Amino acid sequence: MSKLIINKREYNVDLKGHETLLEVLRDNLSLTGTKTACEESECGTCTVIINGKAILSCITLASAVEGEEVTTIEGLANGDELHPIQHTFIDCGAVQCGFCIPGMIMSSKALLDQNPEPTQEEIEYALDGNICRCAGYLKIFDAVKEAGKMMKHDHHR
Amino acid sequence: MTTTVRQKFNKEYINPVGKSMPRIDGRGIVTGQIKYAFDVNFPNMLVGKMIRSPHAHAKIISIDTSKAEALPGVRAVITAKDTSNIKFGSNEYFFPHTVDQMALESEKVRYIGDEIGAVAAVDEETALKALELIDVQYEVLPSVVDPLEAMKPGAPSIHESLNNIAVILPVNFGNPERALKEADYIREDFFYAPAAHMAALEPHVCVGQWETFSNKVTLWASSQAPFKCREALAKTLKMDLNDVRVIKMAVGGGFGGKLEMLPMDFSACLLSKKAGGLPVKICYSREEEFLASRRKHGMHYRIKSGVKKDGTLVAITGEVIADGGAYCSYGPTVIAAAIMRIFMLYKIQHFRVTGYRVYTNTPISGAMRGFGGVQAGFAIESHMDMLAEGIGMDPVEFRLKNITTPNMVTINKMVLTTNGLKECIDKAITSAQWNKKHGKQKHLSRGIGIGIAADVMGSKMYKSHESAGSIVKVEEDGSVYLFTGAADTGQGSNTALSQIACQELGVSYSRIKCKSGDTEITPFDTGSFASRVTFISGNATVLAARDAKKQILEVVAQELKLAIDDFDIIGEEVINKKTKAHVMTFDKALELAYSFNYGQQIIGRGSYNPKTTPIDFRTGEGNVSGSYGFEAQIAEVEVNKENGEVKILKLWDAHDIGKAINPQSAEGQIEGSLAMGLGYTFMENLHFDKKGRPANGNFANYRLPRSIGTPPMETIMVETNDPEGPFGAKGMGEAALLPTAAAIANAIYDAVGIRIKELPITPEKIIKALKEKEDQEKNKI
Repeated sequence: MSKLIINKREYNVDLKGHETLLEVLRDNLSLTGTKTACEESECGTCTVIINGKAILSCITLASAVEGEEVTTIEGLANGDELHPIQHTFIDCGAVQCGFCIPGMIMSSKALLDQNPEPTQEEIEYALDGNICRCAGYLKIFDAVKEAGKMMKHDHHR
Repeated sequence: MTTTVRQKFNKEYINPVGKSMPRIDGRGIVTGQIKYAFDVNFPNMLVGKMIRSPHAHAKIISIDTSKAEALPGVRAVITAKDTSNIKFGSNEYFFPHTVDQMALESEKVRYIGDEIGAVAAVDEETALKALELIDVQYEVLPSVVDPLEAMKPGAPSIHESLNNIAVILPVNFGNPERALKEADYIREDFFYAPAAHMAALEPHVCVGQWETFSNKVTLWASSQAPFKCREALAKTLKMDLNDVRVIKMAVGGGFGGKLEMLPMDFSACLLSKKAGGLPVKICYSREEEFLASRRKHGMHYRIKSGVKKDGTLVAITGEVIADGGAYCSYGPTVIAAAIMRIFMLYKIQHFRVTGYRVYTNTPISGAMRGFGGVQAGFAIESHMDMLAEGIGMDPVEFRLKNITTPNMVTINKMVLTTNGLKECIDKAITSAQWNKKHGKQKHLSRGIGIGIAADVMGSKMYKSHESAGSIVKVEEDGSVYLFTGAADTGQGSNTALSQIACQELGVSYSRIKCKSGDTEITPFDTGSFASRVTFISGNATVLAARDAKKQILEVVAQELKLAIDDFDIIGEEVINKKTKAHVMTFDKALELAYSFNYGQQIIGRGSYNPKTTPIDFRTGEGNVSGSYGFEAQIAEVEVNKENGEVKILKLWDAHDIGKAINPQSAEGQIEGSLAMGLGYTFMENLHFDKKGRPANGNFANYRLPRSIGTPPMETIMVETNDPEGPFGAKGMGEAALLPTAAAIANAIYDAVGIRIKELPITPEKIIKALKEKEDQEKNKI
């Protein structure tokens, strides 16, 4: 049994060794919020946060993250209370089909946790690994900027 | 920070039409809780995989599945012999001979990836192993990949049709030969717009489950048109419509790729039947997505036109040759749309363009966002600029001279009522400072270009009607359900339709929940395509809400012994229409309606089928849409002459959308279209190897727009308040993609004087064209 820490909860998973983190999240733990659109590290849809960094779960072995802090989209809201990034993605109209959104939000969180006031260039760079086919990115940039402001405000409070 | 979206927006939720209401499914999306077909899982669910042809063109001699069936863990194998061999297609109503695909092919395969069977096993590993154990004997036939080669006599014959031409579409009006003789300037140009892929992020995925005790089947689908999918399943499975339930889950993007039943949908159902009713999930890999879903037609577009010195466009002639791939899908009507859209834009009396849709041994071309209009838009709008230059006229002035106007009937009998095209052009050029910039920034290698486009709101292209149905059910506590057959594929139609329902019913948007696209529960809807949902399903929703409101007001009228026409519900209150006086709250009225004296359930129904005339494909005449949408787009670019790179400085899109039901959402549609247009202009080019296999069928090699370099975009809403639209709205999901490539190509010409006629516009093509231009200028000296 391997011990995985997902969204601050411990899971004991029987790993054969070759499973990706994505497979374990979706198939073993029914945490289907994390998606994939290519399974070959091109689209960013499967992004999760491991020890503060945005990581592609489709090319990460589950066994390699044993004992590490893994955060998925399911770990962002506090009960009914959405995380600021989740709020602003709705408020700014950044969601269309939504399939890229969990990955997009996780990449945004990894950026904003380090840097709540990113420049336009820094946002574009941080999200360049996440493909969105619907929305054309502009409203996503707005959402990230707005969330940064909210997070900074919350931090100071 | 602690407020939920609902509380935060609550006051603004009354009278929601015209306001940027938050997405009704927003919380589900941002928390990862919303379920896509991709996320549907059941205990004991089997994994299905398609058996695909490794050959571009071959006769099937025999299929031996016995070894696969004997493999432990395999629960079912199906091939054509398990089917009724019924063909399906998408243009059955107008082009019955183009219904050409079997759910599983039995005699021949026509492209690498063609489906001849499917397996279901306990896990993916076993299913993949089973595929290797299927023994198929083929007689390989010569194949052809290029449509121009396929049209030549003696080319391998893919279907029965002569010279592999599935459809010839001649569109003739007036006498173009005679008219051209009267022209002061004539030019002919050749354009090529390549194949591309929808590349929706959620791959094609479905779960099928056969209910063995009742012989019913359910398909959990990622579909843009669940009722169309049901129709094709019922036909090919030989079942009644009410034996087939298609449940559309949240859809991770469609863009035309998820309009039709695919063999995988059929197979998931049949595999489940053979496996004793265990659910079967089939999920495409990204490679399969590029290989065996749908794609955009590559198009060769020849266009020859004549103009008078004063800029009057006198005649257009030409030819469109489209690479259809192995089967017809929506192809015939895509070609029609690629030719006939021009009538919505330009007043033209003499016209002859013939379209050819050609079979090749390549993946199937179907409908992709823009429905042929993107390829045509590139060709026509580039050509128009070249005509204008030929007579020394400003491209904007040239267009203003020739564009359609409000309240006119086009040569092919389209009835244009509201038409904001001129206003779109005016607003776009003002905002972009056209007059200050055009032709005046060459010293900076900067240029500005324009393209215009028009679009339909529905098209009656797949059956005799194009109906949409809605039900608005008001519960005892005042909460409201909207049941709509329309398929929200991410564009936000559940939100827009809910806003429409609440506005018409006179209640706050916070009261409503929406159930859409479940063929067993919701009324019929033709589907999400042809930018039709806001307009057609929106009208059905207005009618349903109006019916529900009438049922409530009937009770109020009886109670107050007045006529029903004396009342309306606006902003949560029943009012007296004459005096505008408050009569009672909506809640009070509902309490009355449900009280024991009346005891009525409030269930409003609405059905809308636009009053249109389908195209007569023998003449090209028809008024396909209940309203038409228009736009003007401007691109400003800077060309790097050293490395050939084009930087988009800004894009402007002025769009006649009738009325913005949800301005933020409408803007999102335009920005998303522009991004897709940028992809098609600069990078997207799905090409095939000698055997017709996608040569760049993955996200590493098929490049899509990403966040870096997203240019500024300005969207300008032109609200013409169409009398036929719900609250004046028109559809608008596709048009903004149509002129992007041409606007950019025209801007590049303005910047550095080179004309790119073949997409995508790459640095290599720019460098080559600059070199050619330089050589020509040297030779002149």
